[in-house]
Amino acid sequence: MTGPVFRETAAEPRTQSVPLSHLSLELGHLYMEDFAAGPERLREHFAEVRIWVDAAKASAARRLGGRRPRISTCFLIDDYFTRFSTPAELIPQVLAEAERAGLTIDYLARESGCAVADKVELAESVMHRLVESPPPGTYGSRPPVGETGWLANGQRTPGARTAMAEVTEWQPPHETAARVHSVFMDVELWSERDGGRLWSCPFLAAVWQLARLGLLRHGGEPVLVPRARPTGGFPHDWDELPPLLQLTASAPPFSAYRTCTLVGNRFLAVEDAVRLILDQVDVDDGALAQADERSAREGAPVPEAVAQRVTYVFYEEP
Amino acid sequence: MRPRAETTAPVPVLACGEVRTCLLPAFQALDSRTAAQLLRLRADERVRVSERPNLYALSPDVLTGVDCPLPTANGARVRAVGTVAARAALTEGRVLQTTAYFRIPATGPDVRRPWGHYLVRPGMLEPFGKLPEQAVVEGVLRDSQRGALDLGMIAESLLAQLLRHPLLDQKVPFKSRRTHLRWAAMRAPDGAGASIESFVVSEEGLRTVRLRVPEGTETAAVAGLCEDFALHDWLLTTVVRMLDRSRTGSVDGPEAILALRPAVDHLLHVWMPRARVDRDLGHLWDVLEQEPGFTRQWQTLVQRIRDQLAVQAIPLLHKALAMS
Repeated sequence: MTGPVFRETAAEPRTQSVPLSHLSLELGHLYMEDFAAGPERLREHFAEVRIWVDAAKASAARRLGGRRPRISTCFLIDDYFTRFSTPAELIPQVLAEAERAGLTIDYLARESGCAVADKVELAESVMHRLVESPPPGTYGSRPPVGETGWLANGQRTPGARTAMAEVTEWQPPHETAARVHSVFMDVELWSERDGGRLWSCPFLAAVWQLARLGLLRHGGEPVLVPRARPTGGFPHDWDELPPLLQLTASAPPFSAYRTCTLVGNRFLAVEDAVRLILDQVDVDDGALAQADERSAREGAPVPEAVAQRVTYVFYEEP
Repeated sequence: MRPRAETTAPVPVLACGEVRTCLLPAFQALDSRTAAQLLRLRADERVRVSERPNLYALSPDVLTGVDCPLPTANGARVRAVGTVAARAALTEGRVLQTTAYFRIPATGPDVRRPWGHYLVRPGMLEPFGKLPEQAVVEGVLRDSQRGALDLGMIAESLLAQLLRHPLLDQKVPFKSRRTHLRWAAMRAPDGAGASIESFVVSEEGLRTVRLRVPEGTETAAVAGLCEDFALHDWLLTTVVRMLDRSRTGSVDGPEAILALRPAVDHLLHVWMPRARVDRDLGHLWDVLEQEPGFTRQWQTLVQRIRDQLAVQAIPLLHKALAMS
């Protein structure tokens, strides 16, 4: 025996593992006005999505060398920024229109579940894990992102001087990873409102991606664990709906080595911001190691950087 | 440091760090629950708390991104990019330490890679080109250089953040000074075990330690060893100063007792070298026990304090007897 004789569990790191599919496929995203436009809009939406679902599935199978990939599908409903209708009215409609297009929604999530799920402040936790990409010349003295609420991909234009200072020439911002020319982006992560923070849409979407990648934990325990479909139908209040519902009992696991998100091209800017955020999150070591190790063992190793595990299809909206 | 399935990760040849050690500014020592609250640097990650053989709490590592020249002794400019890890530890709810540390391979690419590449190698810096190892070791152990990587600043800012914590009432039970311990661990020759090359006590509370460790030694384990050195060096420094200030022999009675009592209340039980030091590094303590003899000095100090308190108690006893 070579291990230590004496151990204390509270002194050891521990990260519970979660089941992982090969691909988590998101079947489009809609704003409340799309739901308000009625079932026809939903029908057109899913008919378009169906085309790209087939392509994404074929791509996942190709990566596995023809083996059958485990693919779970999901759909996220926005109940954080605006609320429309009730789960009892809306969800059956969504499921019916998806089914008409030949699609199955395995997991259904509420967007507010990305802010707080089962009393765990997911967005807050991810905020604590942001590690900013340092522009050249950073030697350990930057104010943390937690103080500013903004995250950029480079160096901002220097702020306006006080009245006493001389007028200085405008200086351009600079993208740290620029190839000759910059594409500078600065993302607002939250705003303050009565009663706390209002997380921005890209930030919640980044949390959503991390959940789908199986990289979120709380004290080493899994979070946003799928719950079974309520037996007596869907509730009449969004708050009574679990943050993540498993609608297909036999579905492959919700989280996966990779994600593919199918969305209309109006979401391009938001999703670019999501990648900017994902590229600056120091995710749970244990969870990262588990995904690395298991995907390699299955012969389909994940890309090293987290943001590279996330892919998209942007389509023209119907 | 963190276990990870990596095949492409470069092998570090050097690890460096700086430890700050100070008395926790709280009237009462913290129990394990409050210690965990204090060191909870992230909402979703547990603080590791251990109660054997003494009370010890260790925060998760937090990262700081850097892209700057490394300090060098000969003015050589070498840029490095990556993350510096920082962590905090509280021993017996009384002595607070923060460490900033990194590890670095012998060479790196001449371009900066996407940030996600660095984030999956927490606590690792990558040099642009070849690492001038010896010059960096000398540079890190010296005072900080303008614009170059500043481990002290990273350790200090974590310490400052913790010292502002609302759990602390800012009532120190006695006066003490902070110490800084800078360390550099180069790779030991193949087949050789870990060794300690020097331990230098300088003025202004600065200590520098040079080590050699075998390939594959976890940087967190080296950081842990150096925290253990720093903790015990701080205890010696603090108690020596306390005895100095008590003006042993020249003041009488209650005054001398008042000056020495904090050592009994807060410090004497904290002494426990290598309580949690990695098995493969623990023997490095033997070197310091041999020369200068840390524990030998400590035992002498403890004996002096106990003798002083006994001597001061005699007149009180006389008085009590005379009154009866």
